[in-house]
Amino acid sequence: MTAFQRIKNIFIAFIMIIGSISIVWIPEDGIPLIVLILSMSLTLYGLKNIFYYFSMAKHMVGGRSILYTGVIIFDLGVFTLTVADNSNSFVILYMLIIHMFSGVVDILRALESKRMSSSWRFKFTSGAINIAIAIAAFVAGYLLKSLSVIVYIYSAGLIYSAISRIITAFRKTAIVYIQ
Amino acid sequence: MQIDFHYYATYCAAFLAGYSHEECMDICYSAQFVDLCTETFLSRLGAPLSAATTQLQLELADASSDIISLQNITRIWSSFHFLPGDLYAKKKGCSKRYLNKYRLICNPNGELLVNTVKRAKNNSLQAVGIAMHVLADTWAHRYFAGTPSLVINNTDRYFFELIPDGDRCFERRITFKPNPSMTDNLNESIYVNSLYQNKESSIMNLGHGRAGHLPDYSFIRYKYLPAWGDYDEIIKDNPSDYLHAFTQMIEAMKYLRGEREDFVADTYDFDAIAPYREKIEAIIKKRQLDSSRDWKAFGEKLSGCSIEFFNVNKYLKEYNMATPKEIDDTFIGRFIIAALGQKSMVTNAIYKSGNRLAGFSVDYAKKGFRGIADYRKLLDQLRRADDDSLSKN
Repeated sequence: MTAFQRIKNIFIAFIMIIGSISIVWIPEDGIPLIVLILSMSLTLYGLKNIFYYFSMAKHMVGGRSILYTGVIIFDLGVFTLTVADNSNSFVILYMLIIHMFSGVVDILRALESKRMSSSWRFKFTSGAINIAIAIAAFVAGYLLKSLSVIVYIYSAGLIYSAISRIITAFRKTAIVYIQ
Repeated sequence: MQIDFHYYATYCAAFLAGYSHEECMDICYSAQFVDLCTETFLSRLGAPLSAATTQLQLELADASSDIISLQNITRIWSSFHFLPGDLYAKKKGCSKRYLNKYRLICNPNGELLVNTVKRAKNNSLQAVGIAMHVLADTWAHRYFAGTPSLVINNTDRYFFELIPDGDRCFERRITFKPNPSMTDNLNESIYVNSLYQNKESSIMNLGHGRAGHLPDYSFIRYKYLPAWGDYDEIIKDNPSDYLHAFTQMIEAMKYLRGEREDFVADTYDFDAIAPYREKIEAIIKKRQLDSSRDWKAFGEKLSGCSIEFFNVNKYLKEYNMATPKEIDDTFIGRFIIAALGQKSMVTNAIYKSGNRLAGFSVDYAKKGFRGIADYRKLLDQLRRADDDSLSKN
């Protein structure tokens, strides 16, 4: 990892921590803020795809589909921003999918490790927690209609990602070459 | 390639190169072990994780898409399964980012292959086995890169199998299905591949995943449009490539045994297989998903000895029972050192070419030991070799 990539990781991590604290601080505005973050992410992702087409994918057989995808996602990002006032279901669904998917992958991975007599408990626990979070998001969002729980879960996820980025930024990564 | 070629065919090539049955077993075991030495396996032994030579599907699924994970993936797959053919390849009008990926495309007879074989000279049989795995894969996996890349490794609907029919052959469109629970259907040319993901660095775009297991079958011939190929069709002739891989392995192992003065790229020992060529070609061209049984029978006929079935746990006990002083001299210990050496050499070459996709490499001779602690094993080995040569003098 270059020094720039390390600094970038730390910088993004701090932004994420500040963002998550802000969301918790003003939970009544939490959902619109989350939607703002998600729509910004979609818009940036669309732009990233368009840039990816011009820098790389135009050399690829069938690469033009990347350009179309980029334009559509960019459009979707802008559209999401316009419906920010009425988007609770969107946020809850997002949380459900993300955590359920991570949980299932973690548990499958833990079972594979267990079959190979390798350490598996940590992965299993992490998978179980992710699934529990997905269930919590479903119960809180759809059944109890308690949006503050959703806001707290999202903030905790942001802080976790930020801490992972900081740890990554400080890891030793170079390979030693000995002739 | 799969166990049929990496284990049984490598045994046959080693025997034809002049190794004894016992030496052949160590070489082919090591060649096959490259496909099983994962971080999960190593963590079970408490061994250095940097020595991993492959990744399980779930390890890949679990890997995050951050730069460090991508570099780790690239180090493993480029060093052991998709050795780059030309790290200084040129392509007009493309960005540096594209070029870095393009330069990792695997191809046989590159400078890195020569270095891989030469590195195994005067080294352990485990190092010989690893080198043979890498060599063989340069033929099977050519045209794909050992790094996740949509723009290099993607394939599209233009994919046809060329099926022999007497002196001619006919074309049949290949249907790919991204369903891992399915098995390949040779009769209808329906094959499993990885799911299309439009994200450049998705693990679905690693190596030949998008072309399924086709590069791993010795019998198959097919034509397709590689993502990087500017709409030029490529005909992949596996029977020819596998025969070249086999004869190049014999040539390389004759060099490693000291029977040849030098190992030169693009050199094959067709003379060594002349008495058996028909038999070997028949095995290679036989339309089957796994040719282990045929290679095993051929190898046993060659050497007159029984080739035991591959058992991944064969050397676990020896490794677990060894004292810290003995551990590097066990079978797995020697394999680990050889794997670290190969990974370190390939990463350094990629890094020196100005490409950071495999991460950073610090040359010990110039800057001392600065990097991942696992590689200290290479330093210890160097010191032991120095001590041995001093005590001999």
